[in-house]
Amino acid sequence: MAEKVKLFVNGQEVEVESGKNLIDAIGAVGIEIPHLCYHPALGADGNCRMCLVGIEDGRPPLVPACKTNVAEGMKVQLDTEKIKKIQRDIMELELINHPIDCPICDQAGECKLQDYYMQYDGQKSRMTVPPVLKAKHMDFGAGVVHDQERCILCARCVRFTRLITKTGELGIVNRTDYARVTTFPGRPLSNRYALNVVDLCPVGAMTSKDFRFKQRAWFLTKSESLCHGCSKGCNIYIDHNKEKYQDDIIYRFRPRLNQQVNGYFMCDAGRMTYKLENDNRLNTAQVFGKETSLNETVEALRRSFSQAKKTVLLVSPNCSLEQMHAVKKLSATFNTVLSGYSDGYINAGDGDDFLIHDDKSANRTAFALLGIESSKSAFEAALDGADLLVSFQNDLCRSLDDVTLAKIQEKTKFVYIGSYQNGFSEKASIILPVASYSEDIGTLINADNILQRYVKAVIKNVQVSNLIHVVNLLGGEIKNHEEALTDLSATIAALNNIDLKHIPSEGIALTGKEVSNVAA
Amino acid sequence: MSDRSQLIETGIPFTFDAQRDAEFERLVKRYPTRESMILPALWLAQEQEGWISAEAMGYIADRIGTFASQVFEVATFYTMYNLHPMGKNHICICRTLSCYLLGKQEIVDYLKHDLGIKPGEVSEDGQFSLEEVECLGHCGTAPVVQVNGEFYENMNVDKLKELLATLK
Amino acid sequence: MQVKVLSARFDIPDAHKIEVAKENGAYSTLEKLFEMQPVDVIELVKQSGLRGRGGAGFPTGLKWSFLPKNNTKPVYLAVNSDESEPATFKDRYILVRDPHMMIEGIIICCYAIGSHDAYIYIRGEYTTQVKALQAAIDEAYAAGYLGQSIDGKDFRLDVTVHRGAGAYVCGEETALLESVEGRKGQPRSKPPFPAVEGLYGCPTIINNVQSIASLPFILTNGPDAYKAFGTEKSPGTHLFGISGLVKNPGMYELPLGLPILEVIEKVAGGLRDGRKLKGIIPGGSSTPVLTPEEAQTVTLDYESMAAHKTMFGSGGIVVLDDTVDIVKLVENLIYFYHHESCGQCTPCREGLGWMLKIVKKIVRGEGTTADIDLLRELCDNIEMKTVCVLSAACTMPVRSYLNKFRHEFEAYVKSDVSCQTAM
Repeated sequence: MAEKVKLFVNGQEVEVESGKNLIDAIGAVGIEIPHLCYHPALGADGNCRMCLVGIEDGRPPLVPACKTNVAEGMKVQLDTEKIKKIQRDIMELELINHPIDCPICDQAGECKLQDYYMQYDGQKSRMTVPPVLKAKHMDFGAGVVHDQERCILCARCVRFTRLITKTGELGIVNRTDYARVTTFPGRPLSNRYALNVVDLCPVGAMTSKDFRFKQRAWFLTKSESLCHGCSKGCNIYIDHNKEKYQDDIIYRFRPRLNQQVNGYFMCDAGRMTYKLENDNRLNTAQVFGKETSLNETVEALRRSFSQAKKTVLLVSPNCSLEQMHAVKKLSATFNTVLSGYSDGYINAGDGDDFLIHDDKSANRTAFALLGIESSKSAFEAALDGADLLVSFQNDLCRSLDDVTLAKIQEKTKFVYIGSYQNGFSEKASIILPVASYSEDIGTLINADNILQRYVKAVIKNVQVSNLIHVVNLLGGEIKNHEEALTDLSATIAALNNIDLKHIPSEGIALTGKEVSNVAA
Repeated sequence: MSDRSQLIETGIPFTFDAQRDAEFERLVKRYPTRESMILPALWLAQEQEGWISAEAMGYIADRIGTFASQVFEVATFYTMYNLHPMGKNHICICRTLSCYLLGKQEIVDYLKHDLGIKPGEVSEDGQFSLEEVECLGHCGTAPVVQVNGEFYENMNVDKLKELLATLK
Repeated sequence: MQVKVLSARFDIPDAHKIEVAKENGAYSTLEKLFEMQPVDVIELVKQSGLRGRGGAGFPTGLKWSFLPKNNTKPVYLAVNSDESEPATFKDRYILVRDPHMMIEGIIICCYAIGSHDAYIYIRGEYTTQVKALQAAIDEAYAAGYLGQSIDGKDFRLDVTVHRGAGAYVCGEETALLESVEGRKGQPRSKPPFPAVEGLYGCPTIINNVQSIASLPFILTNGPDAYKAFGTEKSPGTHLFGISGLVKNPGMYELPLGLPILEVIEKVAGGLRDGRKLKGIIPGGSSTPVLTPEEAQTVTLDYESMAAHKTMFGSGGIVVLDDTVDIVKLVENLIYFYHHESCGQCTPCREGLGWMLKIVKKIVRGEGTTADIDLLRELCDNIEMKTVCVLSAACTMPVRSYLNKFRHEFEAYVKSDVSCQTAM
């Protein structure tokens, strides 16, 4: 436990964590100090002056809260007339040269200037002289579009590229009210995390080319989930909306704070994986090219199972822990061979020392925990004599080339139970669509052995079954997600003492020892 | 202050000449960090070419090993860095306080009329450029004019005429 | 009234050259210096009562004593030769006429604070002055007063001239440090103070040129000799710059404590014939203006200025006579401070531009009483809400003009203001 200090805020005694600045420490007990330039991941800069607070008997009596650490007995004033006037004055100055083009601004609805105007300002404009004009819709590269007039020069974006990505593409040039954020000619934003500047921007100055003008922020439902773009397991918000007569569509992914995993950020590639959830989805079941109902397809699959001499079940490293467990049990029931072969999901050398991992799957660590063999040699051995290959979300085309696959297909029937149209689904004789992770609930273990939960975000107009249900229909023992969790807790030693039904939002760090013990 | 962010790209790669190269290497040893060389290096580039192009800034950033955006910030923040070519005779007129009280405007007006350019402009023949600048620290001998770095104190229109005659 | 302490060699031909300077006493303190303990040098400077001559007037010896004890990092000296406060033109006389006095001062200071690397930050506009300064430094290196072993003693000292490039704010000490480190001159939040965490994160002392140049006299003649000039709380002499509408503007060395009106009359020759005094800017453009009535009792020292709600500042006195249009003067001043705002803090960045547009509107004859009131209110809204005091350097004098010469603003304003509303 961190040490605590007692201090007074507006005369009320509060106990807060020591070693933190006033914004973070007091914010943690629910008292907001307005601020624009401060961001916990970027440190205190102190330029916006919105967080000025009074310190009774202090020297100086007025301090920026972002630059002031809590101290025992400190008397912080937030509600005096003096402080309220300062907040009003700063807001007035922030807004005099701001275009106030909220109706066409993507940030509207989640804009600090709007929020703070309502909370701390609320006065009529006294601006009777022409405002400063600057450049608009500047293409900064990497899908970031900048509006200099909306910018409040808080420098969060600049600090992000200097302190976090260390690429330094952005700078604030000129001085006085001619100051503006820009890039150097010929050196645009070109890092793999650039779109974080859009989230960091407290106003509408940084917009995403991909998202802008698509949706009003207040219509979006913000659902908590996990990115499946790589094995980091970045926590995300899935921002989606079902418009009247339309389907539930995802408009963007945004990073969600988890200090244990991704902090405040995510990579641009992961951010764009939302598109896979909207487009090129499998919607209808097919048996030998003919559209079929769920029941017909399950019947066809059961026949295939009973007729096959040797069946190989191929599970994807993107499947949840529960799904893997259900498939594993199915495999045991039918005495089939289970493989997690998915070498093609690994893009060696692509990772970095920040968030991006080589492994472009979300749950490979669970293979080890559940003892699912995923080596190429074991998979090749399994295929020997096999006449049925059933893939659960695994796009084998990522791991094997067409020639090899054609050779396998000469002797083996391909079945694909998954969510996405891909190379393997096109080759499969039987296709059965199932819910993707954005429409389902599940548990993942990331590359750092952190076990995390994602929950159902999107509800499609035409809902398909979830994978565990399909496995159950095929004869699998596990009926649903809950049952999978109960069974996992009971049968997997590493999970014995973990309440899988109540996973905290920051996840649970499994020790490496627990994971490898089971794998052995 | 005006917007100085529109840089000129010459399309020609920039490097220091031998003299500036040697001066850069001499000075860099004087500082514990290479970034301290940003201001001196911009001065060297300006001495060499008379102004600082986008290519020169990029060169300086790479030579120092820092972000081009930081060199860009510095070059646009400090107003003495010329971001476009100046006239052969660059005339700065102090516009602040004591020079203002003692008639700098008459000098500006005369120069505008005589040279046919406004402050911030370069004459068509490239002979003159004009700039109104902030306090030059010669308030006791105001008004003051600076031509190519040389100070001319206690200026008036008559003295200005004589000065211009030597420059034309 | 004039004295010759700092300016003792100013009128000696070629005193900027090291041989001439030496013949006239330059570097003669070094023998004594290196026999002393550094703490004793600091003590001596404390006793002299020398106050920082950059504008803030902070006691120099006390500043030095803020350096952390048991420090293991390098200590730096930054000499502030930015001299960009309008009406200030004293330090350049030292740079050009007696640079060796300053170099000797640098040696004294660095020995006292344990620094081996000094940076002289000189404003970019001082083109001819920087050449003179560099020539003197080169001479000092050649003569063995700078470099590996100063004056044959076991003490290394390197002095590097760092040229600014047109930014008033770099006279603010932390902006100056940022500039030396290769960044925009944007002041740092304090604490930490430079004495603890300054240049390159190391303990740093920043002193004005004139403060540094005062050291050889103090060391040679002792603190009492220095305190013999000036007043008890404002001892010593100062290089006053008198400019504006007087007969004999110029730089004059005077002891502190003289009556301001007497100095203007006797030293600067008084006002031009037939003119009446309208106001006096006592210590550079950022200091609140004094009316002729107020000036009656003002003396040229820190205490008297404070008692009259203005500041000693840089000692740059500007005399305004009855021909001066105060509104246009204020426009000139706001233009300057807006131009020089570093753009970091919201109030200064946005507010000074707003103030400039309002005063321009008033000058154009399009203003209203509400605009005058807004201008006055903005002074309060901006001042002391920022990292540094640049915004206050604008709002303090502007407020004083608005308070003391409001009638001149009102004369610009159209009669009917009742229908004015905000946009």
